[in-house]
Amino acid sequence: MSRGPARLSAVRAGRRWLAPALWLLLLLGACLGMARFEGLFRLVEPDSRAVIYARADFLVLLGRHLQVVGVAALLAILLGVGAAVAVTRRGGRDFLPLVAQLASMGQTFPPVAVLALAVPVLGFGTLPIIVALVLYGLLPIVRNTLAGIEGIDPGVREAARGMGMTGGQLLRQVELPLAAPVILAGIRTSVTINIATAAIGATVGASNLGDPIISGIVNGNTAYVLQGAVLIGLLALTVDSLFARLQPAAPR
Amino acid sequence: MRRDRTRPNIVLASLLLATLVAWVGLDAVSVAPNRIVPGSGVAAWEVAGLAGLAVSLLPLLAGLWLAGRPTPGRLRLALGLVVVMLAALPAWLALAAANRVDPELPQARMGIGAGVWVALFLLLLAVIELRSRLALSRALGWALLLAPLASLATCLALWLEPLALRQEYRGRSEQFLGAIGEHLLLVGVAVTVSLVLGVGLALAMRHWPGVQKVGFGVLNFLQTIPSLALFGLLLAPLAWLAANVEWLAALGVSGIGWAPALLALVGYSLLPMVRNTFVALDEVDPGVIEAARGMGMSRGQVFRQVRLPLALPVILEGIRITSVQAIGLTAVAALIGAGGLGTFIFQGLGQAAMDLVLLGALPILVMALLADALLGALTDLLRPGGAR
Repeated sequence: MSRGPARLSAVRAGRRWLAPALWLLLLLGACLGMARFEGLFRLVEPDSRAVIYARADFLVLLGRHLQVVGVAALLAILLGVGAAVAVTRRGGRDFLPLVAQLASMGQTFPPVAVLALAVPVLGFGTLPIIVALVLYGLLPIVRNTLAGIEGIDPGVREAARGMGMTGGQLLRQVELPLAAPVILAGIRTSVTINIATAAIGATVGASNLGDPIISGIVNGNTAYVLQGAVLIGLLALTVDSLFARLQPAAPR
Repeated sequence: MRRDRTRPNIVLASLLLATLVAWVGLDAVSVAPNRIVPGSGVAAWEVAGLAGLAVSLLPLLAGLWLAGRPTPGRLRLALGLVVVMLAALPAWLALAAANRVDPELPQARMGIGAGVWVALFLLLLAVIELRSRLALSRALGWALLLAPLASLATCLALWLEPLALRQEYRGRSEQFLGAIGEHLLLVGVAVTVSLVLGVGLALAMRHWPGVQKVGFGVLNFLQTIPSLALFGLLLAPLAWLAANVEWLAALGVSGIGWAPALLALVGYSLLPMVRNTFVALDEVDPGVIEAARGMGMSRGQVFRQVRLPLALPVILEGIRITSVQAIGLTAVAALIGAGGLGTFIFQGLGQAAMDLVLLGALPILVMALLADALLGALTDLLRPGGAR
């Protein structure tokens, strides 16, 4: 390899991070400088006393939102990829049809219903949201990991075995790398849905970026709603563009 | 082959074992003297004594024994046992209501406990597992659930008066039916509108590649905006429109209510609809089109008689995804006053009345599953010659 293409690809890699970085800057800027736009929000809501949501700092809300979604995503990835890998090994093969069917059926469960059903069991607060998000986020990850591993050409697996790879090597060096784009697409779907669902979590007593929206809808203050909506939208776009960069040319 | 057949069915065995643990270890029901006081849990052995618990465990143990040496005949027997257990769940609740709920207290209510919910879930999984293991048809699988449903209806009508879910329903039976109607109407209109718009857009995209790039860009962008945020963002412009355009206000358009809900629903529904229609129309084998042209068909005839019928299953798949998604999103729309079953969910969350939450969430779940199953069956039916 000559140095020319390497430098070119480094420049390209830098450019590839441009979009997520810009969205992130916008998001942080909106969090910090929301009060600057008071005049703008005053236009929307001329009669209200306060037009900037002040019950909590936007950065704190953003942090809590990210924390809930992040913990849930981490657990969902560990459990989902783990389960899908387990049922594609020889010992767990018996469970494959059931898990595959469950993962495709679970897609029909509306996230709100899952969230609502988690509350009677787990009570109000952050825990039911995390559990609901994990449960719901699991399904696309399991489904895509299964599809990714099952979709690998049997010849490739055969060749790897023929080269003397053990089961663990086969998984780490062949199956997971080949399935990675599909798995990543599943994680992207899961996280995108979870960012939205976590906002609904504000109705079950978790405090996050959904708070201003709910409070705005309840009090009839459109400015609050706008602030929450803009921030959640920016967060979703930041995370989504991040995934778009991580995922080279895999069609959605 | 013979050895393979007599290998224990570990899936069924672990499902039944987990059911057993949940059944014995978790609360069967919870009983509360009125709506405000939180219920106190009642374990399975408290429902009908230790003898009753032992009897309730018999079919589970029998099923476990059958899973040990699963010949097809035994698996069929096991499936029968699982269906009987499912049908017995409402009767168990009725027994609990008779034994544990004080008839002196008219406000007393009984909630379904974690043990029964988990058992229900695991037994349904066992039905799915056995159905695919015995290669039974989908229709037969649904038919098997008729017995438990009949049992549930009978028990609800006769003995389950104190069931909290039923008490919540009794107070708002008319509201409940109205909410189901609103929910279905919103979903139906949103899906129909997005179907018409989506097919039109897909056709336009096939004609002008420029539209394709921009269209998919916009729709993908829309999809990443969380539903709650989109509903919220539509509040202000619609409120403004309603205040400034008279005929819109006369139509009932306002910042809250059905108008923003419908707009957002259509916005979200467009992407799956357009994507599936576009892919479906695009993927029809060019050879088939060529052959049709060669037979002297006009362009319109080719489209109507060849391309569209061949693309129909994939378009229907788009309708299925859209409908299921819209059923869930409509629940969120209740937050901006669009009505529907989500109203009960958010009312219940607000009042910390979990049975009211269930009254909203369970029908939404059932609706989504039904829409998925029905449209899936229709897609299978329309697939030409069962090909692909």
